[in-house]
Amino acid sequence: MKKHPVTRKAASILAASTMAAGLLAGCGGAASGTTTAGGATTKGASTAAATTKAAAGAATTKAASGSAEPVTIKFQYWADNTDYSQLMQDIIKKFNETNGKNITVVGEEQPWDGGAYSENLFNAKMGGSDVDVSTWKLTSTPLYVNNDLLLDLTPYIDKWDKKGDIEDNIYNVMKQAGGDNSKIYVMPWNIQVLYVYYRPSIFEKAGIDHTPTTYQEFLDDIKKCTMDTDGDGKTDVYGFGMRGAKGGQEPWGSFIYGEGGSFDDLTSAGSVQGMQDFIDLYKNGYVPPTATSDGFNEIIANFKSGLTAMTIHHTGSSKDMEATFGDDVSAFAFPAGKGQWTSMGDTETVIFKSCKHPEAAFEWVSYLATGEGQKMWCEGTGNVPVSKTVSQGDFFQNNRFMKASLEGESYAGILPILDTTTEWISTTWPNTVAQALTGEISTEDCMKTLQEGLYGK
Amino acid sequence: MKTKKRSIAPYLLVAPATIIIVCVVFIPVIQAILMSFQSYDLRRPNAIKFIGLGNYIEAFTDTQFLNAVLRTVIWVVLGVGFQFILGFVLALLLNRQFRGRGAIRAVSMIPWVTPGVLIGLMWRWIYDGNFGVLNDILLKLHIIDSAIPFLSQKSTAFPGVIVTIIWQGIPFFALMILAALQGVSRDLYEAAEIDGATKAQELFYITIPSIKNTIYVTGLLRIIWVANSVDVIFNMTEGGPAYSTQTLSVYIYNKANALNLGYASAMAICLALMLLVVVIPYLRMNFKEEKS
Amino acid sequence: MKYEKPGTKALRLILLIVMLVFILFPFYWTFLTSIKPENELYGDTVTYFTVHPTFEAYKNLFTTTVNFLSAMGNSLIVAVSTTLVTLCVSTMAAYAFSRYDFPGRKALMSIFLCNNMFPTVLLLIPLYTIMRKLHLLFTPGSLILAYTTFTIPFSVWLLLGFINDLPMSLEEAAQVDGCTRGKAFIKIILPLLNPSIVATGVYIFMQSWNEYTFAMMFTNTATRTIPVALKSLIGQLGVQWDLLTAGGILTIIPVCIMFFFAQKRLVEGLTAGAVKG
Repeated sequence: MKKHPVTRKAASILAASTMAAGLLAGCGGAASGTTTAGGATTKGASTAAATTKAAAGAATTKAASGSAEPVTIKFQYWADNTDYSQLMQDIIKKFNETNGKNITVVGEEQPWDGGAYSENLFNAKMGGSDVDVSTWKLTSTPLYVNNDLLLDLTPYIDKWDKKGDIEDNIYNVMKQAGGDNSKIYVMPWNIQVLYVYYRPSIFEKAGIDHTPTTYQEFLDDIKKCTMDTDGDGKTDVYGFGMRGAKGGQEPWGSFIYGEGGSFDDLTSAGSVQGMQDFIDLYKNGYVPPTATSDGFNEIIANFKSGLTAMTIHHTGSSKDMEATFGDDVSAFAFPAGKGQWTSMGDTETVIFKSCKHPEAAFEWVSYLATGEGQKMWCEGTGNVPVSKTVSQGDFFQNNRFMKASLEGESYAGILPILDTTTEWISTTWPNTVAQALTGEISTEDCMKTLQEGLYGK
Repeated sequence: MKTKKRSIAPYLLVAPATIIIVCVVFIPVIQAILMSFQSYDLRRPNAIKFIGLGNYIEAFTDTQFLNAVLRTVIWVVLGVGFQFILGFVLALLLNRQFRGRGAIRAVSMIPWVTPGVLIGLMWRWIYDGNFGVLNDILLKLHIIDSAIPFLSQKSTAFPGVIVTIIWQGIPFFALMILAALQGVSRDLYEAAEIDGATKAQELFYITIPSIKNTIYVTGLLRIIWVANSVDVIFNMTEGGPAYSTQTLSVYIYNKANALNLGYASAMAICLALMLLVVVIPYLRMNFKEEKS
Repeated sequence: MKYEKPGTKALRLILLIVMLVFILFPFYWTFLTSIKPENELYGDTVTYFTVHPTFEAYKNLFTTTVNFLSAMGNSLIVAVSTTLVTLCVSTMAAYAFSRYDFPGRKALMSIFLCNNMFPTVLLLIPLYTIMRKLHLLFTPGSLILAYTTFTIPFSVWLLLGFINDLPMSLEEAAQVDGCTRGKAFIKIILPLLNPSIVATGVYIFMQSWNEYTFAMMFTNTATRTIPVALKSLIGQLGVQWDLLTAGGILTIIPVCIMFFFAQKRLVEGLTAGAVKG
């Protein structure tokens, strides 16, 4: 077959869909499905309308001036558990009552869906969804920017009176994600810095009297903590809970940098050595044999049951850890080797281009970034605030896990944000690393595949 | 014989079903077919262009795709095969009169009622290498002497997910076969018994021929269904570890989630063509039989 | 009654028990997880029952943001409507395919079979657009339309298989007796099809009760169905096992009870006298 350089733009989807709708309009009456739908529709819609009205009512009462036109902002978010869901609803309620500008935020929760939240939202936006604002992960920025869906927030931030309350380096990270390093599409909200959880009691049993100060010492401590406590010849405590499933690239990055490697060149000698360290831990039995498929649930369960002595995560799980262990759990920042790096998790908000009231939407996202919304969210979830004012509060200064986070902040980073990153995280990384761990491919081949997956051949 | 007379009746009867289907999926499917001939990657919308068979050529040089095809064949053959055998056995057992039959029929449907997300997570939990109940039982029975990380190693992960899909699919076959068994005439069995037929003979010469249409159809539908199923594998292993549970449908899902819709569509069409290999002989046989 | 060796009966019983254990164990485990206190979940030893059952999770499903009652209501509306619509149109179509020969019949039958071969994940963007243009988005109507579309083909083929298994001679006899075609269908075929219609109805119901992808795309907080509510219990910080399994149990039980009543229509011998092959 001959190749024809015919260009078909993404817009063809819209054109064809319009055709579809036309077709549908023609046969609407015959589809008995629609008839049944009618009755049910009214119910759903009226419930939604009632909610809006109630919320709007509350807003107008408080807004004594009442000069501004009432505006509704449709805000979509995911909640990591039911407490966070409640917290978000409380924040929305408080904002609606106190903003004084007649703005009503209507919250719509969607499942996190193992990270597919972003793709689901993307499909909806491409299909014409009217969501105005959403919670966000930096990694999906290129996809949305390339499809022209996000509003450029730079002019809004520039004239914002609280711009200085957020560190410049955070804005810089947001700019990098935007592609051409000049525009900010993403509004900072909160961050998580990964650190190492450890069990002081197991350290004591293994004869370790201080937390590791170097990367090599950290590797040695993992080996020391791996113990057969009941003498049956089988390991009962593993030194480290390795995450080999999706999401494992975050703790893994610290090993790469510990040997002097970097994400810029995953095939460098340092990067390959870091991977080798990772493989050796698995092969020599210093991590549970389930590591190739262990995700967040498993590393936390293993740590909480005492099966592992150390594992890597962030403050998001610290409340739970304290509830389980009381004082017998603590944390240290990932120590320095030839290099030092820890992953900075991130959650932001964005405003879509389709939003009809960007000023009002910005009012809401800035409330989450520096206002009362920031304080309520970070205190309630244990995430690291982006607002300097909020992080000065007692809550953040007197917490041992927060301390480990803030210590790591100076060398915390993110994966290169490219349009390949999402796929790399969800399939390339876990499967390729599992192949290397199980000895199916060599360390060098593994790193080559990872390099190509991110930067192309 | 069928009515051959020209009449509007059959058209009126099939119209509602046809209209609903055509209105909702016709255009999206045509679009997807067109996408398969383009470099339709929404991560790079400005580079979308017509590339002819480019995606198909890429697929046939992609070892992940070829492995996934092979895995899909195993997945369908073992999955549907055992679903059918076990479902058939269950239907025969539940077709007899006994006390509490209604309740047992009802609870037998449980795997089918269970939401997909829960199936994946519960089985993952059962198979867990550290706290899993399956390991615990096997250890207690001294069948193994150290826990097996079922879903963490390549050799056991794929059999693991196949067992789960078998579990999930038994009730469907059991229910359909049970329904079909109600139409089998008692007289046939009575006549066979007078002739001194054994139970096995009755099964193969009466029961199976009498419900063969149902068996074909349910088998066929189940093949299409299982070949396209994503949620069990995705919730259990996401296609890992080391791609060892990545069937074609999971691979398509992964590519579609990465918004490389052109490549995903091309692979989806390959999957549909593979299914046609099963479907066409069935349709032929079906239409031929009608003639005779 | 016919004589049966006691061995056969015992064998059959054992077979049934083994199958039921396989089928029901994961369900038992789900239930157990839903009432276990959390510290027993990741304990040193695996426990097969719990002496400290807690039903907190069941209460929380209804009192927290999960709002499970509304999700159950929405799922029920969607599943029942879909079942009724699909059954009506599919029975009509299947009857036409089975008993009439008309131009375009084979083509239509083939199209129906191929409809479900294409993964829905590739159709999401245009489907979303269609639902939005029809103003069905965020209403149960969107799900009813989507599920109807994707259950019709299988239902038609299932019913076709059942109808083809019924001998033509039945209606012919009725027609000889002076019944019209429509009357023969209602009086003769429909009662005989009863078990098959129940079985197909169960299939449609289950599909629409448990579907996730469309439900997630086309509903909002007010109209969300059970699978979406359950999925929202799995966040970045892990699975809320207690709520998830409790929700699972509450999803399963009502359907089982409904099936218990429906299966009475699958009564052996109901049709035995009528069918002479």
